[in-house]
Amino acid sequence: MTPTQEKHLAVVRALLAEVMGEDAGDLAIDLDTSFNADLELESIEFVVLSEALQARYGDAVDFVGWISKKELDEIIALTVGDLVDFLGAACPT
Amino acid sequence: MPHVVANGVRHHVQRLGPSVGPPVVLLHGLLVGNLAGWYFTVAPVLARTRPVLLYDLRGHGLSERPAAGYDVATLAADLAALVADEPGPLTLVGHSYGALVALRYALQIPERVARLALIEAPLPPSSAGDLEAFARRTPAAMVEALPEPVRAVLGGRRRKHKLLETLGALVGETSLLEDLRREADVPDEVLARVACPTLCVYGDASACAPVGDRLARVLPDARLVRLPGGHYLHLDAPDAVAAALEDFSG
Repeated sequence: MTPTQEKHLAVVRALLAEVMGEDAGDLAIDLDTSFNADLELESIEFVVLSEALQARYGDAVDFVGWISKKELDEIIALTVGDLVDFLGAACPT
Repeated sequence: MPHVVANGVRHHVQRLGPSVGPPVVLLHGLLVGNLAGWYFTVAPVLARTRPVLLYDLRGHGLSERPAAGYDVATLAADLAALVADEPGPLTLVGHSYGALVALRYALQIPERVARLALIEAPLPPSSAGDLEAFARRTPAAMVEALPEPVRAVLGGRRRKHKLLETLGALVGETSLLEDLRREADVPDEVLARVACPTLCVYGDASACAPVGDRLARVLPDARLVRLPGGHYLHLDAPDAVAAALEDFSG
């Protein structure tokens, strides 16, 4: 894992803990963790995560735009690593 | 997350797109609906060029769940309170029961509505998804009876458990089903009073499809669009619904 990935993964872990509450505590969240199959994030929780990302990164990150361009099967397969890489591309430093 | 108290109920509200100008307001349907159904589908497309306002109806998503007030009149009063300070005129977009709420608002406060888009509006309201058969089921059986696009995103235990909790609370602890049963049809002579351009969008495989023909016949300025899909059309065909709404919103 690169330092950039590590940095963004720490942010995503912290935000997921806020969004999912105690359910996030039991899970080891890593780059290959799937939002759908592993975390079972609800769509409304995705909205809250999106808002938290916006608050954390500002206009540099358009999470809603990124997700909305994906097909349903891509969204279903989405991993924490995909999000971390997206954040890394938007905010490399 | 942003909450606004409107009509005495705490509502979860989200905004996308530019911050200035009259918004497009998106209203979701009952029970399995919440603003997330719009948020990752139609809303970001519309938000490229105009402000978009989304909210969870009372009892749904992250809004407060009062025991009563799930009739169209009360939900339209919620909407009126939520958009009271928004610049107008508004574009209202509703799916299913949310479309009936938008329709009621447009009939009550026509001067505030520039355009109305009704997606899969069920008329009479109680015809939505074979309500009586649905209402006799337990929440667990309701989940089993959900149509494909909704079940597809349901996944495993955690999400199913959360949906069961929501359905169980809405069905067991609120007047929602009773309110829905009592909701009268909107007569043709009332529909004929809708003053603004109205887009009616229906799925070719939906049980509600004949309602589209009725609306196209009765509404003074209606355009009917049929898209491939069922009742949850914005999940079946998000791109086509977004394109139809963009075209309609100018």
